[in-house]
Amino acid sequence: MKGVILSGGTGSRLRPITHTGPKQLIPVANKPVLDYAIEDLKEAGITEIGIILGNKGRDAIQRHVGDGSAYGIDVTYIVQGNPLGLAHAVGSAEEFVGDDSFVVYLGDNILKSGITDLVESFETGEYAAGIALQRVDSPEQFGVADVDDNDNVVRLVEKPDEPPSNLALIGIYVFSPEVFDVIANLEPSWRGELEITDALQGLLDDGRAIDSHVVEGWWKDTGKPEDVLEANRLVLANMETRNAGTIEADADTTGPIDLHKGAVIKDGAVVRGPVSIGRNVSIESDTYVGPYTSVGEDSMIANGHIENTVIIGESEVTSSGKIIDSVIGRGANIGSADELIPEGRRLVVGENSNLKL
Amino acid sequence: MRIITQSCEECGTVVAANELERRRVMKCPGLDCEAVLRFSDLDPEEQEHFLEHSEQYQI
Repeated sequence: MKGVILSGGTGSRLRPITHTGPKQLIPVANKPVLDYAIEDLKEAGITEIGIILGNKGRDAIQRHVGDGSAYGIDVTYIVQGNPLGLAHAVGSAEEFVGDDSFVVYLGDNILKSGITDLVESFETGEYAAGIALQRVDSPEQFGVADVDDNDNVVRLVEKPDEPPSNLALIGIYVFSPEVFDVIANLEPSWRGELEITDALQGLLDDGRAIDSHVVEGWWKDTGKPEDVLEANRLVLANMETRNAGTIEADADTTGPIDLHKGAVIKDGAVVRGPVSIGRNVSIESDTYVGPYTSVGEDSMIANGHIENTVIIGESEVTSSGKIIDSVIGRGANIGSADELIPEGRRLVVGENSNLKL
Repeated sequence: MRIITQSCEECGTVVAANELERRRVMKCPGLDCEAVLRFSDLDPEEQEHFLEHSEQYQI
């Protein structure tokens, strides 16, 4: 079994954060989203992994993952180029996959419970594919699977007005190499893309069996800022305390805190977990860092009040104002305008930014 | 839709033909790989197929 992680896409819904890097490297609880996919594949026993690259962030992803040895995996990079659809991305992996079955994992997705059960379920039968499903409240907004009593997929419907079930497809699939023959015969959809749902439907039309597995626990697609915050909250909620840094004697800390090497919580600071504080971060006196916050490496927080926020790294926050529900890009500097005349906020804001003042 | 790819002989990076055709001659996108990849290195039949159906490989 091999793994294929899809790491293309423009990340347009995450601008301006993605103006300077791929969405798959945005950290959740101080770990890039892509790392969660790699770890899930490795946990399922998959160590030969192909990473599909699009037009954006190719070098950054290669620099981050390297040859995979730091993760205990062997990586092959596959350049899809133009975003011609998920099935095109999968088809681009044929040379890498060869005659093996393989897992396809969207590189901006995070699952609580991993993919081991999905892979094991697929391997119990003679399936051409396996799909991960999750129960949702509004199936009409998703691709929906109709499954029989043996969890075999009967049909797939895209955003149906009358959903046959509440089981939505999430971005994790297992395929046998048979799928490549189906993809070779697909035509681009109305939006000019080769659709993965058409490939699955093609397998069904050929009389091949598709397994399904309902994923328990949460699943998040981190495609939008609010999704990054939600994923960060979900990961931190299950985090345990680790202290590789320094908590000074008169700092006030409660709850789980993941304090990385070189990080310091200074006297007079108040930190309420769950919180992740990255390498060489300094939380200064008279600062409050509240639950569900991740502060990326080499940042400094002073005098402020921050909660339910992701600071990606190398940032300074010295404003006394409350910052909540925010995603702050690398190298940002948020200072105070309290002493400035005339009174007012001073902003240098990138394209596609979203501020609530 | 037929998907045509080429592997870099130096680093193993796989490149889709639409990327090769767009640039015709390109430095391998593998990080730190100095190999040069050419659309003309594809099998002639693959080149012909791609060019005959080039509209399918554009966004």
